[in-house]
Amino acid sequence: MPRLALICVLLFVAVSASAEEFSFDEAELDKKWYHLGGYAEARPALNLLDKDAAQTRLRYYDKNTDDVLPDFNGKLLLEWSLEKEWAKLFVQPSLDYTNSRLNKDLKLSWYEVWFQVKPDDSFKALLGKKSLRWGKGYAWNPVAFFDRLKNPDEPELSLEGFWLATADYVRSFDSPLKTIAVTPLILPQNHSLNDDFGSGDRINWGGKLYLLLYDTDIDLLVRGKGSRDAAYGLDFSRNLTTNFELHGELAWELNAERPVINSAGQQTVAGGDAVSWLLGLRYLTEQDATWILEYYRNGNGYTRQEMDVYYQNVDQAWATWQQTGTSSQLQRLGQNQSYSRPATMQDYLYLRISQKEPWDILYFTPALTSITNLRDGSFSASPELAYTGITNLELRLKGTALVGSRRSEYGEKPNDARIELRVRWYF
Amino acid sequence: MQLIISFIILMLCAVPAFAIDGQQLLKQIDRNLNPESFESYRKLINIEPDGTRKEFTLYSVKKGTDKVASLFLAPASDKGRTTLRLGDNMWLYIPNVGKPVRITSLQSVVGGVFNNADILQLDYDAEYTVEKVEEKGNDYLLHLKAKTKSVAYDRIRLWADRGKKLPNKIECLTEAGMLIKTIYFKDIKDFGGIVRPATVETDSPLYKGYRSVMLYAKLKKRTFKDEVFTLNGMVMLDSLR
Repeated sequence: MPRLALICVLLFVAVSASAEEFSFDEAELDKKWYHLGGYAEARPALNLLDKDAAQTRLRYYDKNTDDVLPDFNGKLLLEWSLEKEWAKLFVQPSLDYTNSRLNKDLKLSWYEVWFQVKPDDSFKALLGKKSLRWGKGYAWNPVAFFDRLKNPDEPELSLEGFWLATADYVRSFDSPLKTIAVTPLILPQNHSLNDDFGSGDRINWGGKLYLLLYDTDIDLLVRGKGSRDAAYGLDFSRNLTTNFELHGELAWELNAERPVINSAGQQTVAGGDAVSWLLGLRYLTEQDATWILEYYRNGNGYTRQEMDVYYQNVDQAWATWQQTGTSSQLQRLGQNQSYSRPATMQDYLYLRISQKEPWDILYFTPALTSITNLRDGSFSASPELAYTGITNLELRLKGTALVGSRRSEYGEKPNDARIELRVRWYF
Repeated sequence: MQLIISFIILMLCAVPAFAIDGQQLLKQIDRNLNPESFESYRKLINIEPDGTRKEFTLYSVKKGTDKVASLFLAPASDKGRTTLRLGDNMWLYIPNVGKPVRITSLQSVVGGVFNNADILQLDYDAEYTVEKVEEKGNDYLLHLKAKTKSVAYDRIRLWADRGKKLPNKIECLTEAGMLIKTIYFKDIKDFGGIVRPATVETDSPLYKGYRSVMLYAKLKKRTFKDEVFTLNGMVMLDSLR
């Protein structure tokens, strides 16, 4: 009898366990008219400084620095939205904190603030601050005519948008041309609105025509002459097989300009019509490794000779500072950001290999990313380990080695190496 | 002699009556599984060998044989991610990235045993040809072959209940016949007139000890404009809820 009772109890427990094994509470599916979410992130890092590098000398010439420089970065990105039927209000502020031995900074940026109406599934209109993210490239987007420059080291980060008005009209067809979408936009610029987009207090206009034609995404893009000169672009993306995608971008910018430091140390302007382009692929191997490979030709990038002259100027300015204590030359060169921006020269190769869940470790993704300047042979190599197995928590450990000879792009960056832990909690 | 002729005539009439049109049967299984155009909510649970679970909640819409889109509602780290499939074309939209990027059907946006093709499943009839139908007890066993190379699994063995014409089990195989995963259909439930399995489980010899489970809720017929299934529409999927 006790044995029977024990069997009954065990059976009851087993049945209860199986009944409760999976549940789906439908109440949690009800849509709310508001949403508040986002993420908080901490990024402690160690930098191995290259004290002889041009960029180090320009940044830290008057500061005593150790070879190893720790820093801490924090970020709070909020997303708040109100949605009622055909109208939506969206706000995305970002609070960024930086603390290193050399500086401490807390900055609030409004990445996106927009109001959108969607009276129909074919049409929507938007007014406000928005990042458009045009282009098909992963690391670079030469056709992103109305966006801020993307950092190829972190191409998936949110970007601050520009204030603009835009609309979308889309139609679908049962033919080789499956979709057509038209996206015109207006972007005003003056001293208080989009002041970093250009100059001239102009109303800028542009647009995009999207086609899904023979299973190929195609965009034709234009930026009218305004605060910046006119530009025309084309991009495409297509899956050639289930595991192989090909994409590309072509941008033609009229009268593209770049500030150039001449051998006398003076800033001049060089340029002309510039054609930039990108060709890339995404390939998934049978072992579940994803390869992203992109070649980028920056039509308005600095030549090897222009970079040599710039580095000569930095060397002279450094020698003057050491001999006389005069820093004006270093300050002037340091103010010119275009020589230190990402992909400042002309030919680059981007490669990222990420292996999904090796050794059956779910949600674990190791990856290796490399960016090579094909003109001077310098490169960065960044191995990383990412783990997303804990709900709403994302952990990433990333190291970066910057390799290059003197007077090469990566050889003159401030760091020889950097290691960073990123802990991101979503809510 | 008369008897023999009558028997032959009878046999000739009887054979077409008993022959099974495999493709028609597959179409019927597709329709019993899902209406042609519908919306649903799904909870996807990945279970590790030590029992650790990770759950995802999705809102999905489907139209016709080749249009399907899904929006992640939970967890917070994945909220707002949207996947779109138009025939062989697949895209993923991640809010941080800010634009749709093309993905492949063999990848998995959630990790675990379900891949993108499982999550954005089209009608089997749209992607597979029925090579052979066998009767196995209470089940039909359909041997399916992919119509094109762009389909995630080259071969499928589908066991379907002969009475309900609903799948019980599906084995997904490579071209060489290697088993990639097995999908089990359980827990038949009435979703307002649509009677279908509410639980879909999968395991794989490639992921020993791991399981993934998909639970269905609020599945109902609904029609959508084609424009919902575009790159412009996929970023607005939440507005359909």
